[in-house]
Formats: sequence, C-alpha cells, structure tokens
Amino acid sequence: MTTKNLLGLGTFLITVFVLVPVGISVSGRWDFYYTLTSVALLSIGAAGVWLTFYIGRINIGQGAYALIGGYVSAVLVVKADVSFWLTLPLAGLFCTTVSVLIGLPILRLRGVYFAMVTLVLTEVTRLSALALPVTNGAKGITSIPLPGELSILGLTIIPDFATMQNPKLAFYLLAAFLMVVSYAVLWRIVNSRLGHLCRSLQQNEELAASIGVNVAYLRVLAYGISSFYGGIAGAVFVAISQSIYPSSFVVTDSVNFMLYCFLGGLGYVSGPMLGTLLLYFGWNLLSVAKEYQLLVYASVMIALMLAVPNGVLSLFDRKGDRK
Amino acid sequence: MEQILANGLYLGAQYALIALGLTLIFSLMNVLNFAHGQMYVFGGFVTYTVVAQFGLPFVVGLLLSGAILAVIGALIEKFLFRPVIRKSKREESTMLLAAGVAFFLDAVILLAFGEKQRGIPKIVDGVMNLNFRLIMPYDRIMVAVLAVAAIIGFILYMQYSKPGRAMRALAQDRVAAQLMGVDVDRYSMLGFAFGAMLAGVVGGLLVAITGVNLGMGGPTSIKAFMMIMIGGAGVISGAIAGGFILGMMESVGLSVLAAYGNITYLVIFASLLIFLAIRPQGLMGKPWG
Amino acid sequence: MTAILHVNGITKRYGGLTAVNKVSFEVAKGEILSVIGPNGAGKSTLFKLISSFVPATEGEVLFGGERISDRAPHKVARLGVVRTFQETTIFRSMTVRDNIIVAHHLRSKASLLGFFAGSRQARADEEAFGASADDIIAFLCLDAIRDELASNLPQGHLRALGMAIGLATQPTVLLLDEPFAGMNHDETMKMVANVRRLRDERGVTVLLVEHDMPAVMKISDRIVVINFGEKIAEGTPAEIQSNPRVIEAYLGSEDAAIGM
Repeated sequence: MTTKNLLGLGTFLITVFVLVPVGISVSGRWDFYYTLTSVALLSIGAAGVWLTFYIGRINIGQGAYALIGGYVSAVLVVKADVSFWLTLPLAGLFCTTVSVLIGLPILRLRGVYFAMVTLVLTEVTRLSALALPVTNGAKGITSIPLPGELSILGLTIIPDFATMQNPKLAFYLLAAFLMVVSYAVLWRIVNSRLGHLCRSLQQNEELAASIGVNVAYLRVLAYGISSFYGGIAGAVFVAISQSIYPSSFVVTDSVNFMLYCFLGGLGYVSGPMLGTLLLYFGWNLLSVAKEYQLLVYASVMIALMLAVPNGVLSLFDRKGDRK
Repeated sequence: MEQILANGLYLGAQYALIALGLTLIFSLMNVLNFAHGQMYVFGGFVTYTVVAQFGLPFVVGLLLSGAILAVIGALIEKFLFRPVIRKSKREESTMLLAAGVAFFLDAVILLAFGEKQRGIPKIVDGVMNLNFRLIMPYDRIMVAVLAVAAIIGFILYMQYSKPGRAMRALAQDRVAAQLMGVDVDRYSMLGFAFGAMLAGVVGGLLVAITGVNLGMGGPTSIKAFMMIMIGGAGVISGAIAGGFILGMMESVGLSVLAAYGNITYLVIFASLLIFLAIRPQGLMGKPWG
Repeated sequence: MTAILHVNGITKRYGGLTAVNKVSFEVAKGEILSVIGPNGAGKSTLFKLISSFVPATEGEVLFGGERISDRAPHKVARLGVVRTFQETTIFRSMTVRDNIIVAHHLRSKASLLGFFAGSRQARADEEAFGASADDIIAFLCLDAIRDELASNLPQGHLRALGMAIGLATQPTVLLLDEPFAGMNHDETMKMVANVRRLRDERGVTVLLVEHDMPAVMKISDRIVVINFGEKIAEGTPAEIQSNPRVIEAYLGSEDAAIGM
C-alpha cells in the first residue's frame, strides 16, 4: 500500500467512526444514523454482488440471501434463544450453504440465464417465507429482542443494546465496523491470487481451466462468500428493525443491490459502497417529489443508461487506477 | 384429478401467452424484458378503465389493451433499447435499462390507476359442472379458449405472414437476416410491440377473472422467466411448453402440496434447479457454449 | 521412442453428424507432431477431444498410460497436458506479465487461503512466479511488450502470449491450436523457431493443429492428416508430401495445398 492509499484509508476510517458521530450529535440529526446504518448494511450486500460480478456472473438474487439471513437470525433469537452475536455468523454460513447447493448446478449458466435464476430465487424465497411454518407466514416475526451482551471470558466487549442510552449509535458503529471488515476482506481477496483467478474467470473460463484452475470450485467459492455477505447484512437489518416479514427483502431490493454495484463501478472494490451511498441518498432526496418519487427515480435511471450505457464509472475508465 | 388438469390447462394457456411475448422479445434482441409483468398489469388496467369506467364492451377493452401496449412497446424499443444496444458493450446494460423501464411502468401505473386491486364484473355468468368432478366457471373457460386462440393465431402469424417470417429469420441469425434484406430495426420494433401487446392482452383477459393490482407486475415477470427457462429461452415452442408445464405444476402443487403449507413454488424452484443442472438450455432450447 | 500420448479410436458425434471418426495415433516423448487437414476436417474437434474440453463419444486418450478422457479440463492440465487457444482468448484486461503470472496457478504450493492471508509460502510463490514469468518473457523474446495490456496486442504477439501462458504451467505436452493463424511470414518463422526451442531446450512434447502448410512441413517431426473426421495418413513431412491420398484430399478442397 502506498502512502497515498494509507492516507485515504485513514481519512475514511476517521470520517466513518469519528466525524460522522460527532457531526450528528452536533447537528442533532439523529435520523441520519438510521440512513447511514442502512447504507453501511446495504453496501455489505452490494459488496457480495460485486464479487459475483467479478467472476463474470450477473447476480440479482442478493435480496434472497438478505431475507434468508434475516430469518435465520430472527428464528434463532426468538425461538431458540440464541445470542444475536452467534446468529450473525450462523446466518452468513447458512446462506453460504444454500448458495453452494444452488450454485453447484446453476453457476454453469452464464449471462442472462444465471441472472434469471437468481432473480427467480428472490421471489421463491419470499414465497417460501410466506408458506413455511417456521417463518410465521405473512405475519412475520416481530418483537425480536435487541442484541444482548457480547462477552468473552467474562469480559464485556459489547454491552446489552437494550440497556444502552443510544442504541442508534451502537447500531451505526456495528454496521460501519462490519462494512469496513467486509470491504477489507473483499479488497484482500481481489488483490490476492484469488482475485486474479476470479478475474481470469470473468474474462475466459476455458482459458482459466486450461491453466489448471478449478473453475467450478472457484465459482462456487465466490458465490458462497457473496451470499455470506448478503446473510450478514440481512441479519443486522432484522436486529435493528426488530422484525422481519416475507416482504422485507423483495425483487426490487435484489435489483437495487445490482444497481449499487453498477452505479459505483465494477472495476473498483470501493465501487459498491459509493454506489449504495449515492443511490440511497438520491432516493431519499427524491422523497420531496412525493408521489412522483418512483417516476423521477426510474426516469433518471433510464436517462443514465441512455447517456452512459457502460456504467457511470466508465467515464473514468481511462484513469484505470484500481484500488 | 380432472379438476387439477383443467385448472392446469386454464393457467397454462394464460402463462404460455405471457411467455410467448417475453421469449419473442428475447429472441429478437437478446433483451430480458423485466418490464413484462408491468406491461401485463398495465394491459389489465386499460381493460378495467374501458369496461368499468367507460362502460364499453369487454372486447373493446381487450383490443385497446393490446393496441396501447403495442404502441408502448414500440416506443420503448425505438427510443430506449435500440440506442442502448447500439452503444453498449455489456449485456448488463440492457438488463439495467429493462429494470429501469419496469420501475418506470410501475410508477406510471401507480399514478394513473392507483394502488387498489381492480376487477370488472363477470362477463359470462354460470358454472360448468360435470357431476362435481369438474367444476369450471364459464368465464374461465372463455378466457382459456381466448388465450389458446391467441396462441394459435400467434403461431400462424409467425409461420405464414411476411413479418412473422422476417422476425423468425431475425431471431435465428441477426446478421444473416440483415444480409437477406430484412429491415432489422423495423422488425425489432415490431417484435417488441408484438410481445408487449401479448402481455397487454393477457392482462385484459385476467382482469375479468381475478382482477389486477400494482404489485402483480414483478411476480408475473418472474413466473414468465421460469417458463422460458423451462422451455428454453428464445424458442416459441419452448415458451408454450414452459407456460403449460408451469401452469400444470402450479395446479398440481396447489392441490397435492396444500397439506404442507404453500410450498409449491419452493418445490417448483428446486425442480427447476435440478432440471437446469441436467439440461441448462431448457426443453427445446439449442445447446449453447 | 516411447509414446507419451495415445489417442485410441477417438470418436465424436454431434447428433447424426460424426465430426471425428475412430482416430488413433501416438505422440512420442519429445517430438513435434502436427495434425493437419482441410477446412472442416475435424481438426478442432480432435484438438478439444485430446485436451478433454469436449467429452468423447467413443474411444479414449491416454497420457503416460493414464486415461484422461472424461476428466475435467483443469485436471488434465494438472497432469501436464496443456492446451492453447485458437481464438485470441487471453485475459484481456491484464498486462502480459500478469497474464503469465496468473498462468502459474498450477504450480502454486500455497492454498488460496494462504494467498488471502499472505502466508510465507504464498509470498514465496508470488516471487517465484514473477521470476519465472520474467524467464518466460525472455525465452519468447517478449520483453518489449511485458507491461502492455493484452487487449492492445496485435495478433502475432497474442499467439506468443498464448504460448507463454501455456508454458507457465510447465506442461509435459503442449497442445497448440493453430499457433500460426493470422501471422505474417516473419512472425511465423519466429514462432516456428520458438516452438523448436521449446522442445529442444525445455523438452516439451508438442502436438499442434495447423493450417499453414509450409510452417507445418518445416516444424514437424511427424504429421497426421485427417479428412472428413478420419485419419488418412501419418508419417514424416517427406512421406506426407508425396502421399497421393493427402494430395487428393487437399486438391478436393477449396484451400488447395498451399506450398505443396
């Protein structure tokens, strides 16, 4: 890492963990915590989608994993009385397992075909959540307790959220922390051999196989990691809203995850984070348009595609500076 | 048993008609029309407006649904997809555009028709009852018959008319068709209009039975995707097969699996995964690399 | 002369069409063997069969006595039978050197997790791969373009890069798919020299499928000729040049025997 990169990273971390909380407490705009927490969590999901793009697959199914992850956490917390902190990795792992089962047959499909299956997955997950007894149908799971205390060997690492004065801040810090870790992992993947191999898949699976890359394994691995991210994001969302319904994550969310990646750019690790921030804030700003919100949003999206059909960041492609 | 089959055929006929439009657009332009379900809902609302608001006959509503959607489809192709396809290097771009169009139509439907579920009075009264082994309201039978008639009409049109043949040539090989003197732009637009029209007509048919609402668009698109994956994307026979198969599976699932909660779609999806693992190109699709 | 690769009655049918019909031959260790034939004779299919990129309908390919048909392509590559591609399929958005480094995948001792965590083995691997890539670049005289993006390369260099990628896997047998296609005379001669050096200096056995007749005659120890999916002749370049069946096959085709 160069000095410049380190400086950038430092600025970013200080902004996220110091400047934002200070700014919010000074301005008194506590509602921003919810917005920024959402952005952080959504960008974790988007990071997963980005990784599947990185192996050359269009993934419009991240909403499904967010929903699955959310339900896993909710069910474990409510019905089995498991600590939220334990359900977090379990939600991720459960999603990875599901994605491996689905990915093994389906990752052979390319382009539009894979995209279709993932999209269908989102809808099927919603329908299953409606139908399965364990998810409590359309009524969903509500009044989920806030995350309890996390302690290791009697040492309290995170206090009980219910006893906190300001759980909003705590959730924000949790989401921001998870986001930073997720992107650090993603950055490391992309800049290690694994990333090179993923990139080789994206460009040419046959050539990759001819140099001995186990293409099928690598695809499933990347998709599994991607789904882990989706599951984690979903689980934290549920902890914040203390409820989950089959419609908590739907097709629109899956499409949005894809949009975040696109808007931010597929060539940059930080792309999905930027895309999520812009799009989420953009959407909220559009609420001034009242009932025309969706219309304006869709029109802007269409106009963008007409103006820059290869993605917004394609405008900066020349710089070619991969972070 | 007869009841399940009849329900399956009734569902399948509508589904096949939706899938036909989607697959036509896909085969002509390699565009996955996310907005197909929204077009269908839009068609339903047009018929609703014509019949319930203006008090005109159902047939007029149906024809207007088809016509208006055809115009919308043509405009979308000409002003949105054509320029993007021309300029874009990645196939994701058309997907995003299609998603944008889907959102856009949702917004338009919301503004023009509102969020409420809308239906029209029954067109035909009465129920066919064969010894209680098979019970089917006449209006459902009529809708199924109309749908089948539309499918047959579609096939005949594609098979024997000049535009139909041109579109088939285009679907088979764009470059070759161009060399043969097929006006690619014109027939792409016609195909898109035609596909949208089919969606609109099904919407119009359905509004007479179950009614339509804003939220139906997305799920309908997704069902249509499943159908063309079953049958093979871009193949006309595949779309019809896929439509009937999905209709039948739904009908069987709803009666057989009812005891286990409504897990029909989970089972269908699992079967689809297994099926695609064995035959990624679908039933009738050509193998691809 | 010990055979290292046996092709035993290999057959490929697509529906009713037989693309390759009961073709058998052997490749000796350290030889350069070319498969030639008129357009559409089934060369490409045969090539994919040997590298196990398409499954055979009948017959088998043995490498060192071990059956490699029906194995996943990456496993065949791991055994030491590595192919290059006819189409210019390179990792386009990477530089020449990065392309070659990535191609060292087979030789990596560290696990993917090791690479993720940056273990000592992983770092040692990366260093070794870099050195080896530089070595290959020098060997194939690619110094001038080592930091060029693959997508900016002209045809001739792309072929050379394709070979470099194949070489990076340290193959026992290298399968070259039309290595001279799209090259001018000078580039072809350079490539011929490189393939020869590959065998002479690195002991790699080479099996190539090619169209360019003069180059094939120059480079090959032995030649196998196929037409309509069947083997019609096998022998040294001199024998092939005077074989009436071969001449007939080529005269009967459109691209009549260039240089024969």
